[in-house]
Amino acid sequence: MAEFQVRSDAVDVEQIMRQIRARIREKRGADYTEQEIRELANVKLEKFLDPRGIRSNLVQEFRRNRVITPAPQTVGIGDVDVFGSPRPMLRSIRKLLSPILRLFFSPTPMVHAINTMQKQQNEVNAEFHRRFRQREEMDPLYYEVIHNLVVELTRLSIENQNLKMRVESLSSRMDFDERRARALETVVAYKPAPRPERIERPQPSAAPAVQTSSGDGQAAAAPAQTNQDPQRAGLEPRDQGERGERRRRRRRRRRPGQNMGQQGPGSNGQSNVQGSVQGPGSGSESGTFDGGRSDDGRSASDDGDSDE
Amino acid sequence: MKIAVVVQRYGADINGGAELHARYIAERLARHATVEVFTTCAKDYITWKNELPAGEETVHGVTVRRFPVSWPRNPDDFGRRSNHIFGSAHSMADELKWLDSEGPASRKLIRHIGRVKHEFDFFVFFSARYYHAWHGARAAADKAILVPTAERDAAVGVSIFGPLFRGVRAIMYNSLEERALIQTVTNNREVPGVVVGVGSDIPERVQPWRSKRKFNLKRPYAFYIGRIDENKGCAELFDYFPRYAAMYPDGLDLVLAGSAVLPVPKHPRIKHLGFVSDEDKFDTLAGADFLIMPSPYESLSMVALEAWALGRPVLANGRCDVLRGQAIRSNAGLYYENFEEFAEAMYALEAAGPLNAVLGRNGREFFKRHYAWPVIERKYMEMFERLKKEPAKTSMAPLPGWFARRARNLPPAADAVNAAPKGPVLR
Repeated sequence: MAEFQVRSDAVDVEQIMRQIRARIREKRGADYTEQEIRELANVKLEKFLDPRGIRSNLVQEFRRNRVITPAPQTVGIGDVDVFGSPRPMLRSIRKLLSPILRLFFSPTPMVHAINTMQKQQNEVNAEFHRRFRQREEMDPLYYEVIHNLVVELTRLSIENQNLKMRVESLSSRMDFDERRARALETVVAYKPAPRPERIERPQPSAAPAVQTSSGDGQAAAAPAQTNQDPQRAGLEPRDQGERGERRRRRRRRRRPGQNMGQQGPGSNGQSNVQGSVQGPGSGSESGTFDGGRSDDGRSASDDGDSDE
Repeated sequence: MKIAVVVQRYGADINGGAELHARYIAERLARHATVEVFTTCAKDYITWKNELPAGEETVHGVTVRRFPVSWPRNPDDFGRRSNHIFGSAHSMADELKWLDSEGPASRKLIRHIGRVKHEFDFFVFFSARYYHAWHGARAAADKAILVPTAERDAAVGVSIFGPLFRGVRAIMYNSLEERALIQTVTNNREVPGVVVGVGSDIPERVQPWRSKRKFNLKRPYAFYIGRIDENKGCAELFDYFPRYAAMYPDGLDLVLAGSAVLPVPKHPRIKHLGFVSDEDKFDTLAGADFLIMPSPYESLSMVALEAWALGRPVLANGRCDVLRGQAIRSNAGLYYENFEEFAEAMYALEAAGPLNAVLGRNGREFFKRHYAWPVIERKYMEMFERLKKEPAKTSMAPLPGWFARRARNLPPAADAVNAAPKGPVLR
């Protein structure tokens, strides 16, 4: 990831902004404008999936507003209906005069035709009603399915957003760690030291000598332990033994008021290892250690120790 | 030398940008000349209602004469007229009515300027767009010096301001961008002008730890000072910051100081201090990683200058030409135009990062070089001396006749401003 290059006090804000924009382009992948991004963010799907826009009482709302269609009425017609009337007097007059009317035309075929059409219409209505009722009975199920789908989609959308945020958060943390590591690497001053010749350590046959000199058996125990699982640390057993020794030596050196040449009487027994392996003048190695690491990843003092 | 400073509102407790600017200038010029301030009795910049007593008083050693406002502003009427003037063809009479509607309309103030103009060497008018500056500068045209405090808004394109900008003796601009805009829109390059701006009373010693303890600011923060208003870009800031906070959990907090017109969102990393004293303001600013200026319209940001004076970088809204130009010229701030740039710039400006100290140092140098009080005072005094020696190069054009004023032949004011080139002035 690109870093902000500030090589001197003479910074150029425009250049920094160019770096920032280049970095954004790199992150974004495609160079969308802010307007385009907003348009993408405001597509209808997002609105639909907006958790605040979901009505949690969708099914209840539907049930409340549900209307059951009544069954259609069947209507017939006959002679009585042709000359009938709700008013008795009018009905009597019509009945009285019906023979005269029938003298001019016959209403029976007309009534028959109307009745036939009505019958067919009733059948159609009944079929329509049956199907319509079926549909109405299915509607709550559809609504329920849609409701569940919306809820699930909303949940997924929220989860997706959370995951995105977590990824961004992790990404930024990783970015920060990476920068910090780089910054620390640049801050630490190198002290180039000539790479010492690698002296082969005595093979396990030499270990007892150290063990004898230490007197407590710990020095021998460490290599023995590392030998059990040499690949766990990715190191050779010999290297692990060396590192253990070096670590112990460094700890002793760091004790206040003590160094390789000035050890108190009480520490005499423990310093036998270092005393035996440290040559004259090696005490100055603690002065050369500046916290840096040599090219092969080992500290300068470690290299000095390897001379023994 | 006798100088009159004319401004819409004035007082120790009035903290509007142009008003504070006028007070600072009046108090500083009072060290070199006799200064009187002519202002209105208004305190509220929305209605210009008469709230302060008319007459004479002394504020921080400067004589102040207040005149009553003849009629308060009706915001609805002003809004309607503004829409008409800015957005459609209109007449000069419409513009004059708009100016009357905008206010603060104090006829007594204008009459007083006409009456005493022979007693003063110069009249320094602040905020060109208001009634007092337009009528006042016409009443004393041969002694009028204008401090426009103009932003990039449509008011600059109103045609009645053309003769004003071309007819005054001199113009004290706040920024290169303001000068470029006014010169482009009104074609007043003949008028002597200088980019001055304003200094600020920076305390000699600040105590950031005091405000951190007082306001319980335990984490590093970016600071915003000013009215929390949509016009100041705070809505966008409140949109961007939570997203930034989600991206950078270990990033900065946002601390706000000022009265809130817009509700401040409830967020664990946003803290609103309310209205704070100057001491708290400077202490909190000194303790901040940097200052945020989200406003897209600024003629000059005094808080940005104060941040630079204290060695703090500024993160500005890149759509504001003035702030962007200042950030580039000073090399003391970054700017953003969208969320990604906002987040990256916030990250880049953290105090622990490599940029913060360098930009802060540049800001301090920039402030010292351009906005320290000796520099500001010298520019004003040099301009006064120059104008005393030089005869007036231009004169105020009279208003056209009755019929010409009523001809609907003026284009929308916004068109003139939109036609002017945008972007910071870099040289």
